[in-house]
Amino acid sequence: MASSKKVIMREEWEKRLNHIRIRKEDMNKLVMNFLVTEGYAEAVAKFRMETGTEPDMDVAMIMDRMAVKEAVQCGNVEDAIEKVNDLNPEILDTNPELFFHLQQQRLIELIRNEKIEEALEFAQEELAPRGEENQSFLEELERTISLLVFKDVSNCPVRELLDSSQRLKTANEVNAAILTSQSHEKDPKLHSLLKMLIWAQNQLDEKATYPRIKDFLKATLENPAV
Amino acid sequence: MPSATVNKPRPSELLSRLTSAEPEVKVRALREVKNQIIGNRTKKLSFLKLGAVPAVAGILADSIDDVTENNNCNNTNNFLVQSAAALGSFACGFDAGVQAVLDAGAFPNLLRLLANPNEKVVDAVARALRMIYQSKLAPKYDFLQQKNMEFLISLLNSEKETVSGLGASIITRSCETNLEQKALFDAGILRKLNSLLEGGSLSQRDASLESLATVFRNNPEVISKFAGPEIGRPLSSIIDLAKDRYPRTRLLACMCLIVIRNASPHFLQDIGIKTKLIHILLELLDDPGQVGDEAPFAFSSLIAQKEDLQKLALEANAIDKFHHHIKKGSLHPRRYEGILLALADMCSKLESCRSKFLSLQVLNLVADALTDYNAGVRAAACICLKSVTRSIKNLSAGYFMNETIVIPLVQLFLDPSTSVQVAALGATSNIVVDFTTRKSIFVQCGGMKQLVQLAKSMESSVRSNALWALKNFVFQADNRLKEGVFSELTASLLSSLIRDPEPSVQEQALALVRNLVDGCINLIEFVFAEDGLILGAIGRQLQCASKAEIGIQGMYALCNVASGNEFHREAVMQLLFTQMGDKNQSFVVKFLQSNDSQLRTATVWTIVNLTCPSSPGAPCRLEKLRNAGIVSQIKNMVNDPCVDVKLRVRTVLGQSMAFGDN
Repeated sequence: MASSKKVIMREEWEKRLNHIRIRKEDMNKLVMNFLVTEGYAEAVAKFRMETGTEPDMDVAMIMDRMAVKEAVQCGNVEDAIEKVNDLNPEILDTNPELFFHLQQQRLIELIRNEKIEEALEFAQEELAPRGEENQSFLEELERTISLLVFKDVSNCPVRELLDSSQRLKTANEVNAAILTSQSHEKDPKLHSLLKMLIWAQNQLDEKATYPRIKDFLKATLENPAV
Repeated sequence: MPSATVNKPRPSELLSRLTSAEPEVKVRALREVKNQIIGNRTKKLSFLKLGAVPAVAGILADSIDDVTENNNCNNTNNFLVQSAAALGSFACGFDAGVQAVLDAGAFPNLLRLLANPNEKVVDAVARALRMIYQSKLAPKYDFLQQKNMEFLISLLNSEKETVSGLGASIITRSCETNLEQKALFDAGILRKLNSLLEGGSLSQRDASLESLATVFRNNPEVISKFAGPEIGRPLSSIIDLAKDRYPRTRLLACMCLIVIRNASPHFLQDIGIKTKLIHILLELLDDPGQVGDEAPFAFSSLIAQKEDLQKLALEANAIDKFHHHIKKGSLHPRRYEGILLALADMCSKLESCRSKFLSLQVLNLVADALTDYNAGVRAAACICLKSVTRSIKNLSAGYFMNETIVIPLVQLFLDPSTSVQVAALGATSNIVVDFTTRKSIFVQCGGMKQLVQLAKSMESSVRSNALWALKNFVFQADNRLKEGVFSELTASLLSSLIRDPEPSVQEQALALVRNLVDGCINLIEFVFAEDGLILGAIGRQLQCASKAEIGIQGMYALCNVASGNEFHREAVMQLLFTQMGDKNQSFVVKFLQSNDSQLRTATVWTIVNLTCPSSPGAPCRLEKLRNAGIVSQIKNMVNDPCVDVKLRVRTVLGQSMAFGDN
């Protein structure tokens, strides 16, 4: 296809890039925001000491949140629930989906530890009422209970529920909910910036040929194909 | 290590531990109750029934006493935090819980604790109070008292989000009258809310938007003062928030703007903002959560009764979008209800909208909704049908008189919910005005008999709407159909409905008679059945008609009777004159002197029929009318402002001159 697009060569491109000034403080803020959102409390404290950048949240609050996330990732869901309720009782009271997923995780842990009777009792008492209130919860509940049906759980259709990735999913959900309740964004700004970069490049691709960034880890400029 | 589920104590056991003498046991039990009820409505209910709320409220009260006596601070704070959190959870989204908390006397204690030095205590207490204020059962806050206003201001000025959020929710719940809105404005509250809009956190912005909307509602004066000298600027911060990244903020901002639009003709009227609001709300439908559930209701409040907006929404493919969402199925009942009501509003006035609706085959989906398990959805489906069946083009084509719609609709006549019954009757009233000869389908599926049954309902709104539907059903229907209706109704039922205690029922009953006797002379015999029961009832009701509409329908019924034969006309005359000879004026003269032009018209029409020159008894009747002063009253109406009245007056006078009147 004959290119009607504008072509910008590497030299020209780099010259234009060099005109743009990015402040060190802004980059520090981005890094700090990443560390806070992801919950790296120690790193936050150290980075603050080394650069003087203020986190947009108390380190204590970050540590509280991380305690919850870690509890879920270790399978201590009941402990996690108690901690979230100590932090802010409204979170689980106003987030039925999150609450259901936490209870579902508890059920998964009981099944994982082969506490079958307890699991059934728990499902009956705690989860069935949730299923009555909401159709999609009921379907999820049925999927989870079906773990009990299979002799070889490692090969059944719902085996991903027993995976650690399921714990991680629930942990991330709790983390996001806590951040939102603290009026903090649940995604790091770095995340949005990268998405913006990808989108901007896609838009520009339709209009020009230019040195794009293909690999974000290296951030090297690829020479435009002429 | 994965957690082992400890053997949980039974709820009743937990409850007894709440009154334990040992603080350790007590606080652990309290925390356990709190953790069990959070997020779990079933548990809240079962603990409530066991009397947990008074027990927890008691702990709160005792701990306050400990605070004042300066006993063991940490422990006390812990008790305060846990009990406040538990009470807050009982009240969260659960009206029975709110009532229990209020009944247990915890409310004043919670208010006092807002002044506690410990941050965690204040947070827990503010949250609990906010949960209470989110309920309709919350105690009314008297803004007009100076002390209260100052307290409210101190809440809003607080650094703590939980406390300022409480202040906002008090406004949102309790501010109702224009007087209160003005008082809040005068106290500078709106300026404070505006600063929270621009500089506050996410939850503060959202809370502010809700409060602002409450203060603006139906109050153009406050709105113009707020938008004030810096024209457009405060409003522009709200407009910006309509494009915010958070869906809930966008929704709340739109709702605030809509309140402003609806209250004040000066603001937000340009086409740009109208289009923007429509697009934002339609896009919010895609949100899978509560925001998407509420979006259609906001959309309705924007377009209801406003043709220009309905047109814009049509161009923005609103009906297609709503159709797309309903088609997906398994909707949350709130969302389903909202979309159906939005469609009802869209099709309420414009034929173009109804055509679009019908062309997309949305009607079948709405017919399905008639059998939904949720009453709100069923009612909304009926309301939607009522709007769509205003399409005369399609009514005439007999489009709606088919089994897919009529059968489920008639079933709703027996619905346990009154509002569903009334809505179904509303839709039926339109559908039965079928200009083709397909009305028999309605009879075949038992609809007509059901309507007659509903005319005997205990609920007056059901009675009047059932009569309305019957009235429309017999409108220009063939004789056989009318006779069927009359024999099902019976003269005694119809006459007792004419004399019903409710004016709206009286009106519809008289209108039904009017339509029944219209057309064929044989039908006029209905009013004479069983010794003239119906005719007598009409007469008595006209003498004490409480509103013009009753007079109008009654007179037109008499007018139609008087269009029959001599016997009929004489009977009408007798009715008009039963009060003669008293000091009391005949209701005829009263009606002729009415402010209501329709009533004057109907009465003069009746006189026209009574004095029709071709009937042998006309001169005699005319003489009687003249002696009663009715003719001279009519002469005074030669220049009546209403054209219809004027023309009929001339007819009467022309007819009277034919008998040599001077």
